[in-house]
Amino acid sequence: MTRQMKLGAFLWATGHHIAAWRHPKAHVAAGIDIDHYIQLARTAEAAKFDMIFCEDAAGLREADVGIASQTSRSIGFEPISLLSALAVPTSRIGLVSTASTSYNEPYGLARTFLSLDRLSGGRAGWNLVTSASPIEAANFGATGLKPHADRYERAREFAEVVRGLWQGGSFQGHDGQSFSVRDPLDLPRSPQGAPVMVQAGASDVGRDLAARTADVVFTAAQTLEEAKAFYDDLKGRMAAYGREPNDIKIMPGVSPVVAETEAEAREKHEELQALIPDDVGVALLSSYLSISDLHRYPIDGPMPELPETEGMKSRQALVVEQSRRDGLSIRQLARHFAGARGHWRVVGTPAQIADELQARFEGGGADGFNVMPSYFPGELDAFATLVVPELQRRGLFRREYEGSTLREHLGLKRPA
Amino acid sequence: MHLAVSLNIASGQPLAFSELASFAKQAEVVGLDVIILDDTVPDSGGSESPFEATTLLAALATVTSRIGLVAAASTVAHQPYNLARRFASLDIISHGRAGWHATMAQAPREAANFSRPEGFSADDFRRRVEEYIGIVQGLWQGWDADALLFDKVGGHFHDPSKMHLLDHKGEFFSVRGPLNVARSPQDTPVLVMSRVSERVFDLAARSADVVLLDEAEDAKTRHDDLKRRVAACGRKPDAVKVLVNVSGARSDIDPGRLEELCRSKSCDGFNMAMSPSAFGGFVEGVLPELRRRGLVHQGYPGTTLRAHLGLAGGDQ
Repeated sequence: MTRQMKLGAFLWATGHHIAAWRHPKAHVAAGIDIDHYIQLARTAEAAKFDMIFCEDAAGLREADVGIASQTSRSIGFEPISLLSALAVPTSRIGLVSTASTSYNEPYGLARTFLSLDRLSGGRAGWNLVTSASPIEAANFGATGLKPHADRYERAREFAEVVRGLWQGGSFQGHDGQSFSVRDPLDLPRSPQGAPVMVQAGASDVGRDLAARTADVVFTAAQTLEEAKAFYDDLKGRMAAYGREPNDIKIMPGVSPVVAETEAEAREKHEELQALIPDDVGVALLSSYLSISDLHRYPIDGPMPELPETEGMKSRQALVVEQSRRDGLSIRQLARHFAGARGHWRVVGTPAQIADELQARFEGGGADGFNVMPSYFPGELDAFATLVVPELQRRGLFRREYEGSTLREHLGLKRPA
Repeated sequence: MHLAVSLNIASGQPLAFSELASFAKQAEVVGLDVIILDDTVPDSGGSESPFEATTLLAALATVTSRIGLVAAASTVAHQPYNLARRFASLDIISHGRAGWHATMAQAPREAANFSRPEGFSADDFRRRVEEYIGIVQGLWQGWDADALLFDKVGGHFHDPSKMHLLDHKGEFFSVRGPLNVARSPQDTPVLVMSRVSERVFDLAARSADVVLLDEAEDAKTRHDDLKRRVAACGRKPDAVKVLVNVSGARSDIDPGRLEELCRSKSCDGFNMAMSPSAFGGFVEGVLPELRRRGLVHQGYPGTTLRAHLGLAGGDQ
């Protein structure tokens, strides 16, 4: 059989577009409506997505309360409870949640994800993040963000303990730099051997950690060249850890805007862009760049030089490169990023979007994609009913699930 | 009187989710107020639990519509911000039927699995729990009930003046807040406290919605003492419900004894610890007798756990 792409349905608030909630067709009360999420999960499962993907932050997204109140991201479900609820009305689709290594302990996290895995019959995954937001840090007694390297060293130890705990009774205890754990978990083994490990950090230490421990890597790439460079680099690092390239599925984020005709798709995209208030766009861009004073620069002027940060190094480099390449002003860049949050955006007909995905997939830039619909439920429905059938027609995506666990969907080995 | 059934899911053979779902549905059909899900920590016996309690609660919320669902979660295992968030989310998932069961005693082996091999001294544990509960309840009140505006045209998702920072700085924790989960239909999850010794009676009187006390000769004295302290905190004595723990392991619950405790105003109801397999015997053998004596209500008075328990909060 020809190689087929993996697809994640990335569910977030009212949609991935920052102004999604203002769209007339967006479900504005998504963050308090469990039935809405059950419907989204059923849509994604009917379309044979590999997984639902939820990101997470233990705190507000925006430092400025006025900015926060113009977005829908200040309230929502905590993802582990959300996915545990979604495990019941679904039967095949994978359930992946983000959780931080900075604000959890490995024993509790391993136990909670294993429970989700057992509730869902082997469909759970954990997306490891180290948390780069000072807003989150302030909810956990920390006075500032720990240095990037320290966060990753803690994450490395954390992942090692979690993996050991998921191996069951053979766990011998752990006494390390950041954590000590005495007992094995009191839950039976996972139906899929162990929950799937997902990771998103794209910095040098982030890539090494992924090469060592991840099953799936979620990434941001604007062009095929960027995607391919990342893909080759990460897969090249795996041999050092005794792993084969196929042991990791690399799934860049893609933010599609799809309609029957190209003109309709462009109109839909413009409609969303016009809903972004300037102050919100600039604030969002600032937080992605981990800088606080972007609003002091002229909005129609160029991006200023940026200092080295302890925040998201890889994302910052991406943004700076794009602003230089395309000669974008702060306002233009803010709108551009507010829309897709630094991820790859494709606007067009089902065939055009399938062409783009196919080119990345066959061009060596991706094993699949994490689909980030602009607003819910409409844009997930549109991808599921327009793009997925086109991908299936081309033999690029499954028509039926091959197995029952997330590892089986992703074609991953069952861990020993 | 109020009836809770407390389920130790770790006893015996690990149960499948379908068995637990059937049990929850049955408990709802017969009109129990609440299911309390225990959460074990490894002990020397090495018993296996099929699920962690908060994830199980979320799943059970999708197969039930009325019965209250309370899960145990340890103050050693979770950071207060994370725990507050998990339960606030569960409360919305269940449409206002969730509660947190906080135990006031330290589990002997637990801290060693959470990078605290030395554990906490009894005094530290008590002060820490007190601070912890204050943070969790404070976070649960971070959003006013009418904070969400959903004004698409004007661009106002919520009213920032109705979102409140906690700005807590204490001996063990500092938490800025606010929680990033909205207010629930019953305002805040129900707080159930167990292993409440006399030393934490004042904390329970100030913070708890439900207190679980062990059955003992002096049940009446302890009930009255607790309610007196509730009143001394400026709360209505009725704002805290005292449930007496009874074991239903051998289906040997004596309806006469329950009636006696009830009529002497020694408690507001009972928490029956039993396995799902013993529950059938209770439903057929004991519950009809309690109904005949006029001790239990039929059906649910409202839709939230607070409404079932006669506690203030939410739209009842």
